[in-house]
Amino acid sequence: MPDIDTTNGARTPWQVTRSVWFAMFMRETVSRTMADRFAWFWMIFEPIAFVGIFIAIRSMIRGDRFVIGADFIPWLIVGLMGFFLFREGMNRPVGAVEANQGLFAYRQVLPVDTVLVRIALEGLLRTFVFLIFIAGGLMLGFDLFADLPMFAMWAWLSLWALGAGVGLAVSAAAALVPEIGRVVRMLSLPLMLLSGVIIPMGMKPYHIQQLMLYNPIAHALEFLRLGFFENYKAVQGISLLYVWLFALSLIALGLILHLRFTEELKAK
Amino acid sequence: MIELKGLYKRYHNHLHNEWVLKDINLTIPQGVSVGLVGPNGAGKSTLLRLIGGMDSPERGAVIRRCRVSWPIGLTGGFKGSMTGRQNVQFVARVHGGGVQGVKRVIDFVEGFAEIGPAFDRPVQTYSSGMRSRLAFGLSLAFDFDVYLSDEATSVGDRAFKAKAKQAFRDRVGKASLIMVSHGEAILRDMCQAGIFLHQGRAQWFDEIDDAIAAYHETSGMPDSAPLRQARTATWEARKELRAVKAAHAEAQAAGADQAHLDTLMASMTHKRQLLRQRKAELAAVKEQADDDD
Repeated sequence: MPDIDTTNGARTPWQVTRSVWFAMFMRETVSRTMADRFAWFWMIFEPIAFVGIFIAIRSMIRGDRFVIGADFIPWLIVGLMGFFLFREGMNRPVGAVEANQGLFAYRQVLPVDTVLVRIALEGLLRTFVFLIFIAGGLMLGFDLFADLPMFAMWAWLSLWALGAGVGLAVSAAAALVPEIGRVVRMLSLPLMLLSGVIIPMGMKPYHIQQLMLYNPIAHALEFLRLGFFENYKAVQGISLLYVWLFALSLIALGLILHLRFTEELKAK
Repeated sequence: MIELKGLYKRYHNHLHNEWVLKDINLTIPQGVSVGLVGPNGAGKSTLLRLIGGMDSPERGAVIRRCRVSWPIGLTGGFKGSMTGRQNVQFVARVHGGGVQGVKRVIDFVEGFAEIGPAFDRPVQTYSSGMRSRLAFGLSLAFDFDVYLSDEATSVGDRAFKAKAKQAFRDRVGKASLIMVSHGEAILRDMCQAGIFLHQGRAQWFDEIDDAIAAYHETSGMPDSAPLRQARTATWEARKELRAVKAAHAEAQAAGADQAHLDTLMASMTHKRQLLRQRKAELAAVKEQADDDD
């Protein structure tokens, strides 16, 4: 630990961290939303495209009868947005350490700062996009209004925390073993299928349901839908405690990895 | 003051695991500029990185009791898609100081770098010279006690080089410099003390000349006595010329009478001739490979 003598104007670690977070946040915000002309377009268009495609498929097989207690399109939008929140929280941090390698020359900036800032920024952006979707959906006459707003927000926060935990752990691991990053990116589509985003879990046989319930994302998504559709019939056996156990352990693991391998992550 | 206590450093590698630095114990006093000399691979840049906190030692500690800069002229931290202003803003924010402090830094860099409207264009459109101007200005915008420099003063065109050198000299009273360079002339010019790195060990010399001499000796090309003499003479001549130049500039600024200015000018011409002569003498005794100009 460096000796800190605050009398001669040196900043405390907390002050340094705060200015780093602020600076990183502004930098990432600018480069994420302004630098690329299509950044905003993709953020909004991607979910629209997904919704469009799945609605087309599902209307062919008449699957919209299988969601009990909710309309299919709002149900799908809520699930997709929730899953994207998790996915971005998982994927975005993977590149963060590598992308900001040059910044570690300023010794105030630590690898974990870049990851935390990205997680926070992605969460805010996704929340914003979701709000746009809710507003747009309501105007188009879909039932996208949260029946239990606090409940929905808590589920949303749980998904965010879960994504953050995975992101923290994976970003440290991926910087040490690059292959992990590639595997994680490949995982996002299977995870979407396994989390009951497209096909309601209630449709599956009981023993498959039990297997799917090992996946904490599925729990959080069901809760998010419960928050939006009061009468939605969620799968039996979901628990937010399970989600938070996962999220908090992963966050702890990620922070430990970042603490332990700070030098390796910097020196890459 | 910077204290290095029992520093060990190595880079992990499949092939070899040798210590780059072994048991470095040094105290760099406040206000003393230091040059790091040694052959390639001796660990000069590594030591600089350790001092700057960009890397941490395997064992031992670096204790900084002052504000230490990042290596001057570092361009790696710039994001290509963002403008020069945005990049500068980021670094200023990292270093705190509130809205006022950030604005002051941006204004300073804009003035110092002299890249005009390019300051508001993405950094990826810059030439490497413009990039280094920006980076150099950025380093000087903060009031560091110790500046680190890794072969950095050799960037930019002639005018900018002179400006950079001048900016360094102006800071010498307030701030000191730790520099790695193979240009021995610039080391002699900027530094008082020297650290000679050899086979992982570091040796402190109160005089940079002694450090460079030690380096030459171990590299198997010791300086001959006449060479050393000629070099000292050249340095004396250069210092005198510089003194007269300064006196002339001062007199001109103060509005001295023409006769006095003429005397100074004549003396300047004389000194310049003398320096040229000394340089010729030095060139006669030194070998081709030496790089002091």
